[in-house]
Amino acid sequence: MSIAVSVSDLTKRYGSLVAVDRISFEVRTGEIFGILGPNGAGKTTTLEIMEGLRRPDGGHVAIDGVDVLASPHEVRARIGVQLQEAGFFERLTPDETLYLFSTYHRQSLPRDVLLERMGLTEKRDALVETLSGGQRQRLSIALALLNDPRIVFLDEPTTGLDPQARRAMWDVVEGIRRESRTVILTTHYMEEAQRLCDRVAIMDHGRIVALDTPRALIRAHAGGTTLAFVMEDGRLDADRLPGVSRVDGSDGETVLHTTDPQRTLHALLDLSRDGQVRYRSLRVDEPTLEDVFLHLTGRRLRE
Amino acid sequence: MKALLTTALMGFRMYFRDRSSVFWGMIFPILLMTMIGLAFGRIDSLTFTVGVVGEETSPGARVVRTGLSQVPAVRLIAERSLEEALRALRAGRRVLVVVLPKAGEPLEAYYDAARPQDSSTALLVLERFVAEANLRLSGATPVVELRAHSVTTRSSRFIDFLLPGILALTLAQNGLMGVSWTVTSYRQGLVLKRVIATPVNPSLFLCGLLVRYASVSIVQLTVITLVGMGAFGARLAGNLILLAVLAIGGSLVFTSVGIAISTVARTPESANVMGSVMNFPMMFLAGTFWPRELMPEAIRPLIAYLPLSPLVDAMRAVGARGEALGPYLPGLVYLLGWGVLALVIATRRFRWE
Repeated sequence: MSIAVSVSDLTKRYGSLVAVDRISFEVRTGEIFGILGPNGAGKTTTLEIMEGLRRPDGGHVAIDGVDVLASPHEVRARIGVQLQEAGFFERLTPDETLYLFSTYHRQSLPRDVLLERMGLTEKRDALVETLSGGQRQRLSIALALLNDPRIVFLDEPTTGLDPQARRAMWDVVEGIRRESRTVILTTHYMEEAQRLCDRVAIMDHGRIVALDTPRALIRAHAGGTTLAFVMEDGRLDADRLPGVSRVDGSDGETVLHTTDPQRTLHALLDLSRDGQVRYRSLRVDEPTLEDVFLHLTGRRLRE
Repeated sequence: MKALLTTALMGFRMYFRDRSSVFWGMIFPILLMTMIGLAFGRIDSLTFTVGVVGEETSPGARVVRTGLSQVPAVRLIAERSLEEALRALRAGRRVLVVVLPKAGEPLEAYYDAARPQDSSTALLVLERFVAEANLRLSGATPVVELRAHSVTTRSSRFIDFLLPGILALTLAQNGLMGVSWTVTSYRQGLVLKRVIATPVNPSLFLCGLLVRYASVSIVQLTVITLVGMGAFGARLAGNLILLAVLAIGGSLVFTSVGIAISTVARTPESANVMGSVMNFPMMFLAGTFWPRELMPEAIRPLIAYLPLSPLVDAMRAVGARGEALGPYLPGLVYLLGWGVLALVIATRRFRWE
């Protein structure tokens, strides 16, 4: 598998604050690579160094085999960039915006095709200032794809979007990957990383604390499956049930950590069938990246 | 090159879609021209409204009345009664009220002492016809005859003087208030960051801004000039191409100053304050509305150093008097110096985010 981006020993300081602390990783061609972390973890700084918009204090970045520090201009021609919170010329239309920026690139995709793909055909001649948050974000993605780049950087593409617009954006990102472009995105939504990314780097305080596929991360760093229930009546000795490794509880809910979810679940259901207990609720929870983050940093992702 | 021209073209469109910039760039200068023109335009527009009471019952009355009616600057109004005429005089609708004399009576004239300049001029005109009537009726031959020679080729009226000042002011205002605000808000809104994230040569984008504002200025100035000509009868004496060249040069200088301001200001609001601090004193001091000679002696040397002064002088010389640029070149070189200084600051300090 070929390498689209390689980062080694990257460091960036702002005064005494170390925003990025000697991080190294590689992004494979054609994958969706996520950088997950809380606000202030150094995600955007890392991305902007990769895009050639910031100079690092140390380390190297090669994009598509081109050294970013040596030839930022060349790198910018090969990548598509979606900037976090970047504004537009409010009194241009989406069509005019794409046309203007197409003159800043060496090559560009047809504007109508991009507008159609981003669901902006109806808005092509409306002023940007009249667009909704989701529409602006899609225009931003259209700008990132304008020069038909092999590698696309998306900085928090769904921040500030409502749930529906967020799901629509996920489809857009998956569409980009289907065109065999490499996507590197940052997010602080763990469900987004879990749903979209082939591999995820978890960043905290400027360092990468873990990097793998979402599944492998969960397997390695989160506890196993948990079973949670609230009892209507009856009683049971939860820690005597087969497979149970630990019992937690809060607000009347009992949470069982189990090494053998199938056997534990069977035991719970047997008790209920025998009439010994009645459950008001019973659910099976798979661990998520949120649990991985909690395990690795001792904090929740969004606080 | 395409990037530069498209940046200019799109900027041009954005300008005309923004009502507030159209207001400040075109409506405001036209309003200023109207107000200043109405307030001060009478200084050299010599029309005196003179009320006449009574009939031409004596030869003296006839000479005076006919004489007055032949003076182009005098508009005669036949009054119904003296009371009515005096009311009009007090209300400022007459400069002078004349009661035509019966034979052997004196000529009575009423004036408003509150308007000394107008009424004394009108009285002088009146005296001339009284003297002429006396002369003619006594049958004497005139000893001295007056022949006046004008040295200006055309009448210079206040609106002709005012229009080039308004045009120069508009150029300065575009740069100091418009450009500085716009570029600072592009930076604050991370629009400039979007541009720098593309492979475009950044200087092409900045040149695109200069071309944008130069072409916007030409449109603004054309509209203001047409309104000045159509509504106020202003006339441009000089070479229009030369005037356009001055306008484009002035626009480039003040746009550069605006960009330089944007590199110092952090927010559009502070850019606006800095621009105003430069713009407003110049607006009143640089001779845009009235001759600089009216300014106190003490500050006149300072005024000469305002960057707007040489532009006003040159545009007025070409626009109102049709002169050649020769004597104004040192001033224009000084203005150019401002432009160069501003460009150096702009390129040295320019930040894209």
